[in-house]
Amino acid sequence: MAAISVHRFALCITCHSWSPDRSMVAFCPNSNEVHIYRLSEDKWERAYVLQKHDQIVSGIDWSARSNRIVTVSHDRNSYVWNLEGSEWVPTLVILRLNHAALCVQWSPQENKFAVGSGAKTVCICYYELENNWWVSKLIRKRHNSSVTSVAWHPNNILLATTSTVGKCRVFSTFIKGVDTRDSDAGASADAKFGEQILQLDLSYSWAFGVKWSPRGNTLAYVGHNSMIYFVDDVGPSPLAQNVLLCGLPLRDVLFISERMAVGVGFDCNPMVFAADESGIWNFIKFLGERKTSSFSGPKYGSQFSEAFGKFYGQSRQGTSNNGVPQVISLLTMIECCTSCIVSLEESGSSSTRRFSTSGVDGNIVIWDLENSEDLLEFL
Amino acid sequence: MANSLRLYLTCIRSTLEAAMCLQNFPCQEVERHNKPEVELQTSPELLLNPVLICRNEAEKCLIETSINSLRISLKVKQADELENILTKKFLRFLSMRAEAFQVLRRKPVQGYDISFLITNYHCEEMQKHKLIDFIVQFMEDIDKEISELKMSVNTRGRLVAAEFLKQFI
Repeated sequence: MAAISVHRFALCITCHSWSPDRSMVAFCPNSNEVHIYRLSEDKWERAYVLQKHDQIVSGIDWSARSNRIVTVSHDRNSYVWNLEGSEWVPTLVILRLNHAALCVQWSPQENKFAVGSGAKTVCICYYELENNWWVSKLIRKRHNSSVTSVAWHPNNILLATTSTVGKCRVFSTFIKGVDTRDSDAGASADAKFGEQILQLDLSYSWAFGVKWSPRGNTLAYVGHNSMIYFVDDVGPSPLAQNVLLCGLPLRDVLFISERMAVGVGFDCNPMVFAADESGIWNFIKFLGERKTSSFSGPKYGSQFSEAFGKFYGQSRQGTSNNGVPQVISLLTMIECCTSCIVSLEESGSSSTRRFSTSGVDGNIVIWDLENSEDLLEFL
Repeated sequence: MANSLRLYLTCIRSTLEAAMCLQNFPCQEVERHNKPEVELQTSPELLLNPVLICRNEAEKCLIETSINSLRISLKVKQADELENILTKKFLRFLSMRAEAFQVLRRKPVQGYDISFLITNYHCEEMQKHKLIDFIVQFMEDIDKEISELKMSVNTRGRLVAAEFLKQFI
């Protein structure tokens, strides 16, 4: 009901990112290429194909102000692409990784980007003008497993990372010569590069999808144990809350505003979470169409009763090879796991009304919260 | 008896729905490689707790999950020696043609009769609930197949013996 368009681009989409004017989308169709499609008169046409990586491209980010695309791949390489004329030209990035790169994000001021990798390190890359390439500084300590997701704080210095050990850590990434010390950034600005500000041990399963709220007050990340964690007042004494989900785990989360967040995952249905006046986060509703089952009703949210519903339907209609008719109604517009959620609003704005999700089924779905009156109060 | 089979299969189905949340994950040990972590077993943080579902002492199902792969091992009910031999031969026949099944493992895990290995690539190409339907259907059909085979062996034996002994009448 809040999805305004669905586009099927490929068999399977790994990750996607939008251009600054939101007219072009870059995504990886589960291969070593990056396809850029442009929307012209309601039809999507392929504008560019970026081919430089040898293995699957695991992360794409399109910077909003400088119009640069950074891509990272499982082949340990990363490239920064600049649009020169009608072609995208890659610039070399010296990543110094010895294992695959898993995720990437431009910093808010777009002078740095962070790469999380399977080499249990995080690379912060900045541009070196003398040699026309991007060099990296590695955060080598602390992580003892793959870094699955990275997120920049709005102050351009703090970086949050999640890893497959379930820990979420916040580091300082101050680089001399690239960053300037603000007097109002607080204590965190005095930390050296690579110094760990905070470590959160909330999840006992893999952690993904970490994001900061627009003003940087709250941190959210998801764990594979079907929980989503919200941390307020990140600093010496953080306040953490967790919300248990009734379905399958989430993969990624996006902050719509300071008090509202949307999570997507293996349930194929975006979930909306919001904080009330006292700051307690709760699950509000699903955005897409709900699955129907013979035991309908929000209280039967467990998987066992869903399966039980299928069994009842099966015994009524007799066994059939293609399963129960109710299984067909599970296939709403999204059929498979959704793995990536990206905001469609201008960067730096404090609230988002439109966002897009992409997943394993190859669809990019654009959602709009314009008509959801019950959610508008949280914007 | 049919009731306990339904419960067993329902339990397996709901466990599989939770376990089949797989994603592409490059190998942490070897660069540029992508291996099913459940087979590799080198990084304990990437593996989840294995779940063992037993219907009775003779029938059980072990589900081991990791971040990018899932291994399902089945032990099929074998009441007597004849069923033992039939099961072994039938499942060996299937395992040898594992490529055709895609999700089948060529050798069963130690202590079990047949194993499936499902990776994130299978989940990308095929639909998750169809894969689960396939596994559950397979488990239902296996029992039927073995009893049919046993009946046909017995029938054949009876016919052959009757023909042979006719010459002595």
